Amino acid sequence: MPENETLHDLGLDEYKYGFVDEEKHVFRTKPGLTEEVVRQISAQKDEPEWMLEFRLKALGIYYSKPMPTWGGNLSDLERVLGEIYFYVRPQDKMEHSWDDVPEDIKTTFERLGIPEAEQKILAGVGAQYESEMVYHSLKKEWEDKGVIFDSIEEGLKNHPELFRKYFGTVIPSQDNKFAAMNSAVWSGGSFVYIPKGVELGTPLQAYFRVNQERMGQFERTLIIADEGSHAHYIEGCTAPVYSTESFHSGVIEIIVHKNARFRYTTIQNWSNNMYNLVTQRALVHENASMEWLDGNLGSKLTMKYPSCFLVGEGAHGEILSIAYAGNGQHHDTGGKVVHAAPRTTSSIVSKSISRGTGRSSYRGLCKIYEGAKHAKSNVECDALLINDTSRTDTYPYIEVDERDANVGHEATVSKVGDEQLFYLMSRGMSEEEAMALIVRGFIEPIAKELPLEYAVELNRLIDLEMEGSVG
Amino acid sequence: MNETTAMDPTILDPENTTATAPEGVTDTLNREKVEAYSAPEPAWLKERRMHAWEVYEQTPMPTTRLEEWRYTDLKEKLDLDTLAWPEVTECADDFGACPEGLQEAMRADRAASGHVWEIDGIVFHIDLEDDLAEKGVVLTSLRRAVDSHPQILKEYLATEAVPPESGKFEALNGALWTDGILLFVPRGVRLDLPVRVTRWASQAGVSIFSRTLIVAEPGSQVSLVDEILSDDFDAQTFVSDAVEVMAKDGAQVQYVSLQRLGRGAFYQSSQRTLAQRDSTLDTLNVSMGASTARVDLNARLLGPGANSDMLGLYFGDDNQHFHHNTSQDHVAPNTSSDLLYKGALDHNSRSVFRGIIKVHPKAQKTDAYQTNRNLLLSDDARADSLPNLEIQADDVRCSHGATVGQLDAESRFYLMSRGLTREQAERLVVLGFLGEVLSRLPLGGVVEKVTNVIEEKLRQV
Repeated sequence: MPENETLHDLGLDEYKYGFVDEEKHVFRTKPGLTEEVVRQISAQKDEPEWMLEFRLKALGIYYSKPMPTWGGNLSDLERVLGEIYFYVRPQDKMEHSWDDVPEDIKTTFERLGIPEAEQKILAGVGAQYESEMVYHSLKKEWEDKGVIFDSIEEGLKNHPELFRKYFGTVIPSQDNKFAAMNSAVWSGGSFVYIPKGVELGTPLQAYFRVNQERMGQFERTLIIADEGSHAHYIEGCTAPVYSTESFHSGVIEIIVHKNARFRYTTIQNWSNNMYNLVTQRALVHENASMEWLDGNLGSKLTMKYPSCFLVGEGAHGEILSIAYAGNGQHHDTGGKVVHAAPRTTSSIVSKSISRGTGRSSYRGLCKIYEGAKHAKSNVECDALLINDTSRTDTYPYIEVDERDANVGHEATVSKVGDEQLFYLMSRGMSEEEAMALIVRGFIEPIAKELPLEYAVELNRLIDLEMEGSVG
Repeated sequence: MNETTAMDPTILDPENTTATAPEGVTDTLNREKVEAYSAPEPAWLKERRMHAWEVYEQTPMPTTRLEEWRYTDLKEKLDLDTLAWPEVTECADDFGACPEGLQEAMRADRAASGHVWEIDGIVFHIDLEDDLAEKGVVLTSLRRAVDSHPQILKEYLATEAVPPESGKFEALNGALWTDGILLFVPRGVRLDLPVRVTRWASQAGVSIFSRTLIVAEPGSQVSLVDEILSDDFDAQTFVSDAVEVMAKDGAQVQYVSLQRLGRGAFYQSSQRTLAQRDSTLDTLNVSMGASTARVDLNARLLGPGANSDMLGLYFGDDNQHFHHNTSQDHVAPNTSSDLLYKGALDHNSRSVFRGIIKVHPKAQKTDAYQTNRNLLLSDDARADSLPNLEIQADDVRCSHGATVGQLDAESRFYLMSRGLTREQAERLVVLGFLGEVLSRLPLGGVVEKVTNVIEEKLRQV
């Protein structure tokens, strides 16, 4: 650890991606969500008729479902949803060459360090600005092997059969109110196909940026990892700090076929005025493996529970979740594992830190269906409280319908130990430095799971803040 | 894939929980019944019952849309409309004339400080060691206490611990309780032996409402073993309990509930314990009988230094459904609680454990633990476990754990290698699994009694 580093220096409480660029767009809908808005979005995208029908049906489902009364405080959300723009088109078309991206948008992403990272370590990069992907590229060697890494709109246009076979199958519109909303107004996101047996050595990465004030972003990602393939997808999110709330509600569907391995990493660092309500789910087939690595640092309220539905024999699901809730933030996060086949295994590890008036809640489900013989699942949750105004909750649901299964759940809550502090301070550290070291030690079991590439990105989000300068 | 899961926002739908017409008003459970029942009672009690009835009418019947009732569907499990009011027969205070099952349970009891026998919600026998009575210990029926100890009832009965506002069934019990037990232990008095309460339900197709009130004054010590049992019923029988336990400063109280009702019973028990400064208030809930058993236990730690051990044990077979809903409320600083609920489930039986540790904002230096372990003995058994934490103070040590698993094959193999049959080995492993709970509450007679019941159940496996 660098010398004289304090908890404050970890930078978790500060937000350095809050800069605002001038609002420019070629089209945007009126504030609020109406049938007209849905039709306009569909028309803007020049979609096939079935997609418009799909959207309109989802809108009806959205209207019919009540606002959740569990989880975070959504009492203001009705008002917020009436004020935000559901669709903002920043430019006319998506670019595949970085040079063609409009200068101001380019500058924004350059400030976030994207082209640089792409050069060095990534197999492909996508960037979404407001409602549309503005840039998508994939290294040629992977393109040649049949890998598809496109915006979701291009996926629908260029690969209609593959798209239609899987779209909306993992997370149907009926799943929950916000999945229905996303299904009605989705825009942007990635379409990924990894062909049989292809192993991507380096990750694919997507960046999501909301610049417009009172903006709703609804990206939709569909990933198909075919038999025996192997890949890693990373998403990062940032937005400027406005006094009004913004809204982000993504739907991520992943199909992991037989013997494939897929890892999905999120570094969510939205500004503290963002509602972040996301549905992420993977369908995991025979002997396949799915890993969710979920880091929640930003947003006002996040409700997100990455899920693994283990439907093939021997499937494995893993969810690693880390949440940091500073002043005024609430992370209601966790994971769901559903065992629906024999010899399936899963593990959820959740670590959360609450500081100031922050609140972290773990909410998770472990369900073992009858017939999922020899299923095994283990859940571990640890919460660290920094101040006496901080709060943490744990709400696990364990449902076991099969005798030959083993399920365990454990959670602990603690504060930074006086003894640990005292020891480090006796070694010459200030209290703040000691605190920072302990916090780092606490998240280490998850941080060490990050691939090197990811660590680069996480360092951008945390360490750069520490030094007090971005771009 | 589209089944309702924990995250489905439709689970809690406020629009559907607002009741229009009062729910649960039947030919026998109605305002007229409360009025008639309380007619001979003093005004304060009558008022209290009528208030409870008001609350009952205003409270909607819990549905699976409520988190606390998600896994127990009352629509499916309970039909209040079929319930008659029990024949109130004043039983003769004669051991030999008691139902055989009741006699058997009483004979198995060891020495006690006092006894209470109750049939169908009416107490018909009470005895208490003379020297304890001289020291001011009160052990009496609630009906008698209305005349003999009105002050205690006015202060504690359905006020602080289980007021009608606690919920639908608590309100119903508050309006219609027929009798129950008052145990009052004065300051500094210690009872070496437990008080034994044995309750019997004899009539099928009726509803029975009883209450227990225990007040332990500062520095006193007492344990009460509350056993309820019956034969099997050929029609649904509703047995409702409300248990209120107060441990004042430095008091030590143990409350043990042993539920062995016959099949056909719907057992509903609301228990709340209030632990003041430096008191110890321990509970044990053993659920063996009834078709459906729902126990709500709320331990409130109200004074610094208060401690509650909360133990639970259940063994289900056939179609039994157990639902234990517990909460550990740490209100004051420097309090501790430790919960351990263990259960085995055979055949089609099902158990739900939902527990929550709540550490209130000022309850620093809290130690709170919660463990629920389940053993599934059959392919068709099911166990759901929801151990929750809500922590609003930072200087705390809290943890919880929950497991669901099958019989430990290695232990069984070891025992079989020592010459035991498979059945014997399994029996022993189950007994050992459940025995951990009993070993933590060494109360004379209870361990043997519970072990016998478990062994009886295991013989049917």
